[in-house]
Amino acid sequence: MEEQKPQAPFAALVYGEIVYWGVLLGSVIVLIGSVVAFVSRNNYVATSYWLSSIWKGESIHEIWKGATGALPHGHWYLSHLTTGDGLTAFGISLSVFAVLPALLLSALALYKEKDTVYGTLALIGGIVVFIAILGIIPMPS
Amino acid sequence: MEQVMKKEKGKLWGLLTKVPELTLLILLIVAGYAVMEIFSKVQPTAVLSPGDMWLIIVASFVISTLIAVLAVIGGIGGGVIFTPIMLGFTHIDSLVVRSTGLVVAMFSGLISSGPFMRTKLADLKLVFYCGVPITVGALAGSVAAIYLHKYMGPVGDGYVRLSLGILMLIVAYFLISGGGATEYPKPKRIDPIAKKLGLSNFYWEESLGKVVHYDLTRAVPGAIMFIFLGFIAGFFGLGGGAFLTATLNLVMMAPVKIAAACSGVLLAISNATAIWTYISYGALIAVFAAPWMLGQVVGGILGAYLLISINAGFVRKILIIILLVSSIKLIMRGVEGAFGISLHF
Repeated sequence: MEEQKPQAPFAALVYGEIVYWGVLLGSVIVLIGSVVAFVSRNNYVATSYWLSSIWKGESIHEIWKGATGALPHGHWYLSHLTTGDGLTAFGISLSVFAVLPALLLSALALYKEKDTVYGTLALIGGIVVFIAILGIIPMPS
Repeated sequence: MEQVMKKEKGKLWGLLTKVPELTLLILLIVAGYAVMEIFSKVQPTAVLSPGDMWLIIVASFVISTLIAVLAVIGGIGGGVIFTPIMLGFTHIDSLVVRSTGLVVAMFSGLISSGPFMRTKLADLKLVFYCGVPITVGALAGSVAAIYLHKYMGPVGDGYVRLSLGILMLIVAYFLISGGGATEYPKPKRIDPIAKKLGLSNFYWEESLGKVVHYDLTRAVPGAIMFIFLGFIAGFFGLGGGAFLTATLNLVMMAPVKIAAACSGVLLAISNATAIWTYISYGALIAVFAAPWMLGQVVGGILGAYLLISINAGFVRKILIIILLVSSIKLIMRGVEGAFGISLHF
């Protein structure tokens, strides 16, 4: 008898699909942001400044000091979503953020299947990611 | 030879029609980059002309795509290729390289999570079990990277690089001397915790055309190693996928294909935690990281579909070569950073 290909568990599909489509959505936003950053002058910091200062080997402190005066310390792009560089940063962040709902909804699917051990592990993973997103760990200035 | 080329071309065409979103994304990227060149309003600077800037973006995208295909097939993070090259051959700030390295290491893993979960190549239980220690380690590693960059400078960085390079050589040695047994390892004894957690599973092995059952073991040593590996990933922006694959394969005894797929997904989870530290600190420059991200997404999908039908032994050979090359690079940079000895020949 020929063997059947095994089906993926529902919780695995939930995790995989949320991350997959979240990243694709983020990629389109990143592409739009990159185009806006190049073809318009509507940028939080000029595209030529970003690329040239990186290429020159300036440190991250020097780059931000020359751009806005100080390190941003937080999600600066959320208040600059209509700019090219702001939208690009938002797209990257959105793609990465997809991991959080993927973990939480996958945990929910596991709990529904009465798999509390792995549901809890997924939940704990989600909490660690959430702490990282909040940026509550103090950083040097 | 001609027939092989035709077969490969047919495979690629089949993939483009089977995954329409990939085709659409590639077309959008090509159109977007054309628009960026034609309607560019970027001002020239003392170091770069608008043409140079466009070329940096397009070249970054192409190189990133190639790295991603190789990374997914090899079950490693693209950061292992990206970070040493950028730190070795450019003057770009190490925090910018490391944060972009995390993007390179992460996105092929993020995008390949979908195909790997659909085909059951990524073992959900194994991913969630190892996911907790690796995210904790990654968060700690990224915070440590910012503090060390600020207060210790390149000397401390050099010592850690040196030990990392030596560790990678050891893993490469294990993979070389392990022989065929590591492809489908059989543990002699399953520890009680792995048994309690139900860490046994099965998957469809495309190259054999049958279901392969496997048992995992050494749950606690595995988890401890994942804290350490997460720290390395977050600290260096390397991803460390090669270590993850080796740990899953050699310590926890997962088949090499399962280890490669799970390491991609785990890499994505850990780096998706670590990257937030760099984002909120301002170390991720989006305009520079964007083409690297897009290349990883395109290459990640291509690599994930290729991995499903590729022979696992081939994956191991790629892994060994990449481990050896990057470990030599890391050791050289480590010696330079720690002892101030120039090793540029």
